[in-house]
Parts: sequence; structure tokens; C-alpha cells
Amino acid sequence: MAIFLDHNATAPLDARALEVMLPWLQGTHGNPSSIHRYGRKARAALDIARAQVAALVNVQPVQVVFTGGGTEADNLALKGVCSGTPDGRVLVSAIEHAAVMGPAEALAAQGWQVQYLPVDSEGRVDPAAFEKLLDGNVRLVSVMLANNETGALQDVRALAAQAQKHGVWVHTDAIQAAGKIAVDFQALGVNLMTLSAHKLNGPRGVGALIVDKRMDIAPQVVGGGQEQGRRGGTENLAGIIGFGKAAELARAELDTRMRRMRALRDHLETGLKRIPGIRIFAARAERLPNTVQIGVAGLEGEWVVMQLDKRGIAVSSGSACHSGSGKPSHVLRAMGVDAASARSAVRISLGQDNTEDEMQALLAALTAISSEHRSTGMSMMETP
Amino acid sequence: MNDKIIYLDYAATTPVDPRVAEKMAGCLTCEGMFANPASAHAPGRAARGMVERARAQVAKLVNAEPVEIIFTSGATESDNLAIKGVAHFYRDKGRHIITSRIEHKAVLDTCKQLEHEGFEITRLKPDQDGLIRPEMVRQSLRPDSVLVSIMHVNNEIGTVNDIAAIGSITREHGVFFHVDAAQSAGKIPIDLKALDVDLMSFSGHKVYGPKGIGALYVCRTPRVHLDPLIHGGGHESGLRSGTLATHQIVGMGEAYHLACEHLTEEMPRISALRVQLWQALHAAIPQALLNGHPTQRVCGILSVSFPGIEGESLLFSCQGLAVSSGSACTSADREPSFVLRALGRDDQLAGASIRFSLGRFTTAGEVDAAVRIVSEEYRRLRELAPAL
Amino acid sequence: MTDEAADYSARVWDHFRAPRNAGVFPAGTAGVFTGRAGSAHHGRAVEWTLRLDGSGRVAECRYRVYGCPATIALCSLTSEAVWDMSRGEAAAYSVVGLAEELGLPAEKRAAALVVEDALRAALTGYNGG
Repeated sequence: MAIFLDHNATAPLDARALEVMLPWLQGTHGNPSSIHRYGRKARAALDIARAQVAALVNVQPVQVVFTGGGTEADNLALKGVCSGTPDGRVLVSAIEHAAVMGPAEALAAQGWQVQYLPVDSEGRVDPAAFEKLLDGNVRLVSVMLANNETGALQDVRALAAQAQKHGVWVHTDAIQAAGKIAVDFQALGVNLMTLSAHKLNGPRGVGALIVDKRMDIAPQVVGGGQEQGRRGGTENLAGIIGFGKAAELARAELDTRMRRMRALRDHLETGLKRIPGIRIFAARAERLPNTVQIGVAGLEGEWVVMQLDKRGIAVSSGSACHSGSGKPSHVLRAMGVDAASARSAVRISLGQDNTEDEMQALLAALTAISSEHRSTGMSMMETP
Repeated sequence: MNDKIIYLDYAATTPVDPRVAEKMAGCLTCEGMFANPASAHAPGRAARGMVERARAQVAKLVNAEPVEIIFTSGATESDNLAIKGVAHFYRDKGRHIITSRIEHKAVLDTCKQLEHEGFEITRLKPDQDGLIRPEMVRQSLRPDSVLVSIMHVNNEIGTVNDIAAIGSITREHGVFFHVDAAQSAGKIPIDLKALDVDLMSFSGHKVYGPKGIGALYVCRTPRVHLDPLIHGGGHESGLRSGTLATHQIVGMGEAYHLACEHLTEEMPRISALRVQLWQALHAAIPQALLNGHPTQRVCGILSVSFPGIEGESLLFSCQGLAVSSGSACTSADREPSFVLRALGRDDQLAGASIRFSLGRFTTAGEVDAAVRIVSEEYRRLRELAPAL
Repeated sequence: MTDEAADYSARVWDHFRAPRNAGVFPAGTAGVFTGRAGSAHHGRAVEWTLRLDGSGRVAECRYRVYGCPATIALCSLTSEAVWDMSRGEAAAYSVVGLAEELGLPAEKRAAALVVEDALRAALTGYNGG
């Protein structure tokens, strides 16, 4: 039986979310835009899901724009605000996910001036450096709430307050945070927020952008006028309904889940510290309760991932979207970690179904892998 | 009144075929299959295998290479990606785009966006049969034309454009050709190796697959380049970033596989039902008018205008029927159909039109019942009306 | 049939599905006054025929209607309301008020005006005769 410890890449669909989705995957269902009874029934189900997602982050249903996933929602946030003739600057943190980096680079190619906010050794955006870059000419700031690799949390509330003084819009990618910690759009004081269903045990292929009611954003996918004209295309009905249920469950069970994951992770970290050559990245930062990113001295992260895979344990060397690229993590590099140590990174991300026994199995496997390596004297990597 | 509603709105969306639902459910519940196809570990590789199998299934239905199929969140995104992708990548080559007035909103709205960006759009008016003639395309080509986007089958009236002939013209002139095939894939044989088509949009939920998944065919030889619409992560050959929804893709793959198997059997059967529907309707209501070319049409779509009655009352009278008054995506605003207006129908006729769309699970009994409901309601409303 | 498929209330839906008092009087009926308003071109047309008794009371009324469900339902409900009213009461009857009471959306108020105009036109006919 495989042990899955890669929940930040994708979390398994909750059986209860699946249960509400299944009826919508079978039988006859209308297009939510149709006015006959089938269509209206679909529309009503969509409205319920919208309210469930809205409640998770404390907004009104009208603020939720469903998309084909978190990446699309991040794209919509950046490109939707920065539309038309390039005019102004865009600030993004240096440790954003590719879903933000990608559109930021695309904006830069169009002529927008994109600047990257530096982070400290624990992966936190430096407020002083941020302040220096802020002025009324900044069109948008994008800082993620929780980092997908290290799990480090940003003080988005404070950063948003800083930006607000200059009248600057703030977007936060809350894909990894939602469902793992309490997320409150209003309390954070942000204007745009990205969510993804499959990172909170909902289905893949559906996400949402939460939009400040005062904001206009230019749609990126047009045609049909769905989602108040902000995102065209027939809605992914079953997916959205599953997202709604997953959001409802995440909200109801948040405390239990956090407590459990934190206990598992703390236990795991205690064990990891006993294995020679292992370090924990962003150890001193406030982090997600489920994420621990380690470096295994002298070993390639990718190689460790494959060794664990052979033992039936699924982890990743960083972002799933970057696996196989062989490039050291831009997140760790931004934190000042040297290239060799960054290449040794292995990310362990827990889910609600993981057990203490699985933590023990992982620790045993890592101990074996690192001692095997030491005993054979095999050098996977040139020391810096 | 019987609570069972007759579903004749297959062009808006089709029911998910039970075999597709089964495959999808298997994918969602099966241990391990939930993994991210981009992940390096064993569950990730297994998911990737299923995605590639589905890609091959979609490619097979339209005789394309699997590598030419890009998965998207639906035909609307595919249309956006194709049109903006070409327009932006080749912006230095030219800024003139040719499309038609009867395209789906996904194409029309995308072109409108490009118009705001400084592109010039020619919108061809269909002939009275609702067809875009290849010669119209030839005549509107200019030296700065970069793209022609013409739908294969119109979603409201079901007419079939001659994309083979249009493709020869665009290829001859070195202009890219995009075809929205959301209404034709699985209903008409499509052979992309024989067609001079550079880009083709597909939908999952119009072919008995799930909603929220679609695909774009991007021709490799000759190669067409696109600017991506969604950046980050570099999935789908860098053309469409974002985590792939394995169950959705597997569902679309299975749906296209089934379409491939059933196409030759379904086309004549559904055609016969549509002919039965029109003949019975026309016999009951001789004033009824058929919209679109009488024969050059897809098997399952029938659009009829009813003189002398008001559209909203007609539609709401037929509550035992799930049909459309226009394209589902626009019917909520209850504006007279722009497609029917383009065919020269006046506001009354365009408003008092019904699109019946038949599909895999339609029976002759349902067709009879539909004719009965519509003709009874037509008579009732006519009797209620004063001399006009 | 429920009203779930429409933006209309159950009452509107009921009168649309089964309009009361629709039709015309048999040819040759005495004391009948007719009024029309609207046109098919504008999406709705209404024709009232009222039979008034010697004292000017609406003894019976009929209508014919072309239009949306709201127009049809308003005719039906108005026919029930004005039946037995005096001429003055009927002329003062507000179909627009009825539309508001039924919760019809603002864009349907034009329907109420056409129904009201046709009714007044019929009553004006009596005045003239």
C-alpha cells in the first residue's frame, strides 16, 4: 500500500465530495444557462456551491468567479488587472508559484515593469524592501499566502495594509493555504484571492478567483457571459459542486484537521532532526501545519524522491509543476540557499488521511537511504 | 401534468454517457489515480498514462496525432486560445481576422476583444440558408489577413459549412484557419489529415462527456504557433498551464472513443428522427418555417420559427419539453437570436423559434410527444391572439 | 406544473397556463364595446370586449391577447377584477398596480400599460356611444 505524502501537489478527492458529484456525472443535466427546468436545476446547484466556497473565505457569493483551476485564476488576477496598454509596475514576491510567475513574465514581455519582492532566509517578504518599491504607480501586488514548497506563511494582512496606504490592489494566491489554515479575505484586506479545489480535497480542473466588489477585471476567456462576464464557457458543473462540498467540509473540519496535521508533522520533524545531514527549510517561519521541506546533505532531491518512490512513498522534490526540470527551486534560491542545497530539497506534504505509522515508515526509509549513501561513500553531488 | 420532461436540448449539453461516468468515477475513487500527472512518483506516472491514452482517443476520432491535441477547460477556452493565440503570436504578420456573424459567442466575443486591441475583424454574413460560402471567404481575404475562424456546424440552426473548401482557400493564401467543431465532433466524420485546418476546438460535454473539459487541435505540419492564454507551469507543451484534471480528461477520452464507435450507426438514426420531427411538425403547423439549409445540416439539430405567436409564451408553454429558444449560452437574456436575425428572420420570428436538438438517447416516442406538445400550445396561443 | 421554470409567481403562471374569460362574444351580442392597444410588431397586442349593462356596469368581459406570459396573465387577472365594476371603477383600475402587486419585473411594466390602454379604449367607446 502506497504512502502518499505529496498533498501540496494534489490532495485526494474527499469521498463526501465525490458523493455529491456523482449524480452530476450521471444522467441528464442541463446547461446552467438554459432556462428550462434542467438548466435551472443546474443553476441552483451552482449557486449553492458558490455560497459554500464564499463562506470558506468569508466573502459574498457574488465575489466568486469559478475558473478551470488555480493557474487560470492566477492568470485572470494578474492579466485581468493589468490589461490594455502597459502602464505601471507589478510587484510579485520572488517565491511565487509558476501560476503567478508565468503570467508575470507574460506581462513583462508585453512591456509591464515587473519587480520581484525579496524574501528573508525563512522565505518571508521583507516589509522594508516592499515599502521602498511601493508607490501610486504600482498596478498590482501579488504575494502568496502560503508557499507551496516550504509551507512558509506570509504576513499578507500587514503587506496589504502597507499597499492600501498607496491605493494599490493586492492579490494573494491562497491555493495552498485554504483548507489548511483559516483564510479570511476581508480580514486579510486583499482585493483578489486565488483558490483551487483539488488542493483542499476537491476535484481537479476547478478553481476560483475571489474578487473585491469594487474591482473591475478584464476577462481572459470570453464568450457566453458566464460568471458575470468574467469567465466565459459552460460551467464545470460536477467539478464546481464537488468544490463547494470540499470547501464546506474544510471549513467545518478545519480545527480538527489542523490539529491532526500539526501533531503528525511535529512528530515527523522531531524524527527528521535525528537523521544526520537533514535540514528543514524555513524552520523558523510560521508554516502550514502540513508541510515540511527538507534538504538531505550531499544527495540530489530528485534521487531521494525516486528512492522513496521505490519504497512506495510518494513525495516530491519541490513543485510538481517543476519536477523533472532539474533546476534548483527558485523559492530556496530566493531565500539565499546555495544551489547544491536547493537541489537536495525534498518536500513532504501531509493530508488528513496520513497516519503516525506512515510517518515512522518515512523516517525509516529516509534513515536507510541516507546511511546507505554514507556507507557506500557514493557522492551524488559535488560538494560546494 | 406528467413531471417527466422530454430532453431535446442535446446541442446545449448532452447527458454524460453512463460508460463515461463509470470511467470517471473509477478515476476519482481508484486509489492512486488521483495523483498529479506532473509528479515524478509512481502514482503521478500512472495518471500521466491515463491522460495520454485519452489524448490518443480524442485524436483518433478526428484523425489527428495525439501530440496535436491540447486539453483545455472547454471549447470556449479552446476558441479563445486559438484565436488570441494566433493573433498575438503573428501580430507582426497582419492584423486582419475573418469570421462570421453566426459564430458561437466564444468566437464573437474573442474577436471583439481583439478589435479593442486594434485588430480588424471582417464578419461574414451567411446566405439565406445560414451557410458561409467558401467564395465569401476568398473575397474577403486581404494581404494582412492572418486568421479565418469559421464554425463547422452552427449551434442554433445546425447547418454544416464546407470547411474542406474554405481550408483549401486559406491554405493557398497562407492564412491560418480555425474551426469551432464543438457541434460537429462525434456527429460528422472529421478527418484532419485530409482537411487544411490549422486549429480546431472541441468540447467534452457536447459529446456525452463531462462539462469543464475541451481540447484544441494544433496542427504540426504545417506548424502553427500560439501565444498561450494561461501561463505558468508549462503544461500541455507550454500552450496551456494548469494541473490536468485526470478524471475530466479520461471522461472526454472515453466519450470520444464511444463517439468513434457509434458515429456510423448514430448519424442515420438521429437524422431519421429529425426528419420525422420536421415532417410531423410541418404537417401539424403548416405555417412553421425551417431555419437553415434543408439538407446541408448536422443530424441532430432542427430550428423552426413559428409565425403569429410570441416567443417567450411559446417557450414557456412548452414546459414539458427541454428545448432552446436560441443558443443556451445566450438564452438567459432573451434577446432575439442574432443567428436567426442574420438569416433575415424578423424579431417576431426570431423570437418565436425553437431549437430542437436530438441525440444518442432520443426515441421516436419522444419526437411524437414533442410534436404533440408544440402543436397544441401553438394552437392555444393562436386562438388566444387577436387578429394581428 | 410548478412555476420553477419561470421568473413568474405561481399566480401569474396559473393565469398564463389557463387564462380566464378569454375570447370574444358571439356575433350580434348587444351592448358590446371594443378597445385595442399594442401591436405584434412591438411584441404585445391586446383587445378587450366589454358588455356593459344599462347602468354602465361591466356585466361581462372578454379579451384576446398576443404577448409574453405576463401580458396573458395580466389580461386574465384584470378580467376577473373589472367584472362587475362600474364604468368609472373599471376606467380607474390600475393594471400597473396589479403588475407591481404580482411582483412582475420592471421590464414587464410595459405589458401592464398595454393591457390598461386597451381596457380604457374599450370604456371610452362606451362614453362615445
